[in-house]
Amino acid sequence: MNIVESTRLAIESIWANRLRSFLTLLGVIIGIASIISTAAVINGLNHYVSEKLSNLGQGVFVVKRIGIITNRQDFLDAIRKNRRLTTADGKALVERCPSAAAVAWQAAVTRDVVREGLEIRDTSISGVTPAVLQIEPFDVDAGRVISQLEEDRAAPVAFVGADVVEQLFPNSDPIGKRIRVSGQPLEVIGVAAKKGSFLGFSQDNFVKIPYSLHRKMFGSWPSVDLSVQAADPARMQDTMDEVRAVLRARHHLRPAQPDDFSMVTAEGINDLWRSMTQTIFSIALFVVGISLVVGGIVIMNIMLVSVVERTREIGVRKAVGARQKDIVQQFLIEAVLLSCLGGLIGVLLALGAAELLGAYTPLPARFPPWAPPTAFVICTAIGVFFGISPAKKAASLDPIEALRAE
Amino acid sequence: MPDATATNVPPVIRTRGLCRSFAMGASTVRALRGVDLVIERGEYVAIMGPSGSGKSTLMNLIGCLDTPSEGEYWLNGQPVATLGEEELARVRNHEIGFVFQTFNLLARASAARNVELPLIYGGVPPAERRQRAIEALAQVDLADRMDHRPNQLSGGQRQRVSIARALVTRPALLLADEPTGNLDSKTSYEIMALFDKLHRDGNTIVVVTHERDIAEHAQRIVTIRDGVVASDEQNVPRPVGTETA
Ligand SMILES: Nc1ncnc2c1ncn2[C@@H]1O[C@H](COP(=O)(O)OP(=O)(O)O)[C@@H](O)[C@H]1O
Ligand SMILES: [Mg+2]
Repeated sequence: MNIVESTRLAIESIWANRLRSFLTLLGVIIGIASIISTAAVINGLNHYVSEKLSNLGQGVFVVKRIGIITNRQDFLDAIRKNRRLTTADGKALVERCPSAAAVAWQAAVTRDVVREGLEIRDTSISGVTPAVLQIEPFDVDAGRVISQLEEDRAAPVAFVGADVVEQLFPNSDPIGKRIRVSGQPLEVIGVAAKKGSFLGFSQDNFVKIPYSLHRKMFGSWPSVDLSVQAADPARMQDTMDEVRAVLRARHHLRPAQPDDFSMVTAEGINDLWRSMTQTIFSIALFVVGISLVVGGIVIMNIMLVSVVERTREIGVRKAVGARQKDIVQQFLIEAVLLSCLGGLIGVLLALGAAELLGAYTPLPARFPPWAPPTAFVICTAIGVFFGISPAKKAASLDPIEALRAE
Repeated sequence: MPDATATNVPPVIRTRGLCRSFAMGASTVRALRGVDLVIERGEYVAIMGPSGSGKSTLMNLIGCLDTPSEGEYWLNGQPVATLGEEELARVRNHEIGFVFQTFNLLARASAARNVELPLIYGGVPPAERRQRAIEALAQVDLADRMDHRPNQLSGGQRQRVSIARALVTRPALLLADEPTGNLDSKTSYEIMALFDKLHRDGNTIVVVTHERDIAEHAQRIVTIRDGVVASDEQNVPRPVGTETA
């Protein structure tokens, strides 16, 4: 019997046993859809982090009073021990770190921003020295960034994020218009390109003003973040060592004492992301693993339940002249066809789920190209394993034994 | 056609010392204990015997559906023990038509599809297949039921479908294990009339039954008791319609 004939028999059998086929499909669909959706979310998060979360480019690092903290104890220790970083620290770096091409600083507070009865809440108001916007560049949507002259004069100007524009300038061009922060009027001179939100936190709810103005408005109390660009990105580590030495000396730390500040690099953020998300991902994989197991059990059950019926069917086929290899071929094609169909539906569902997740939840989802073939292989293997081995066993029986199956 | 022996044609069936035991846990059931049987081409044989005497076991061996524990079996002069899996499949497909007491039809396939099944495995092209299936169904008066599935047919009609399936490859040997066992008496006579006709058309027929009335259709009645042939006698068949119902 040829492949065409076997395929016909397989399709006939799938169609004749619609309910069983559907239930088997269900297992494959559950497995594939869940593994791919999860992979899409994981993939999307990773992509987002490596591409968008930080503006830190090559050879750039930021010195912070409190760096990226992953547990409560570290946070409490840092609050207690770490000294505030000041503009004096920044100026010392400018003078005493020859391998730094640029040093800039910024400080931030959170305030509401208003304009003519409109309001946006909890906006990050940061005072930046102009170099910050060169070291950690923003894509500019309209207008321009803050100039040195404006910094020198503490000019009331603002470079704002997309959320601020959306909320305060719903139908008008913001450039040249006024907004107010803590009673201080600011002229909008530029708008940053939209970055979107990450895990529910908008990346676009900010107002940047000259550092000198920020200091006037909010005092010198907030600790500053120092952004440093190494002259040679390949030797950023040397620059970091220089910066560390200068700051330790200024903070009078003895050699045995740990740093009372922390340094953040793009790589560091990615590493941190990875260590943070490893747990999330292993939980996700566990859940997916369960659904794969559930899918597998569904398939296995259907197969086992139908084995009796199928054993009799095999007996009938053998009694009228089917060879072992005819039977095995038919069942193999049947299993693969079912898996293909289930896989296809599963992939489509996952595509839909990824779209929905992206649209309605804070999770970014990105469809991983390797996922469909991988999941397909897994599900086919399950189908073949649970479908073929009983069929093969039955096919090797004498016909009468297969016919006697209860 | 009893003159077939004279022209040196081997018998359709020849068994010597055929045994079949089943392991039942610690003990073994010896269903057949040495059956010697010769059936010539064109014969119409009834196999009788009480329930549990080994009739079905013998039929399954003759039909190449089962393997003997001991003894030898020649089908058309060919020793069956030497046949491989694929050759056995071919024998079941081409040379033997088997009719089961319980029909053994594919529940989810139409009558025509069930009848076609042996032709599929025989490598007959689709168009011819359909044609021959329709012819076989016409032979058993079911041409108008070919798209019905087994559960849409009566018991007698199902048995006729399974007979059509047995006939469709034009086998030389037709084996039927209690073909009327699940049917009422009226339907049974219809089925037996069909066998009589098939015999007149030149088929070799072996029918298992434990009903005397049914056995009376055959030319020869072999009785099995406790796994051995207890008697083997010629019979003058009674024509259909003269039985007392
Ligand atoms: N597969 C089997 N396993 C165990 N015992 C069997 C099996 N098939 C038949 N037997 C036994 O062999 C004997 C003959 O059975 P069978 O050939 O079916 O009898 P009959 O068809 O004459 O009623 C019985 O005792 C039956 O219980
Ligand atoms: Mg029996």
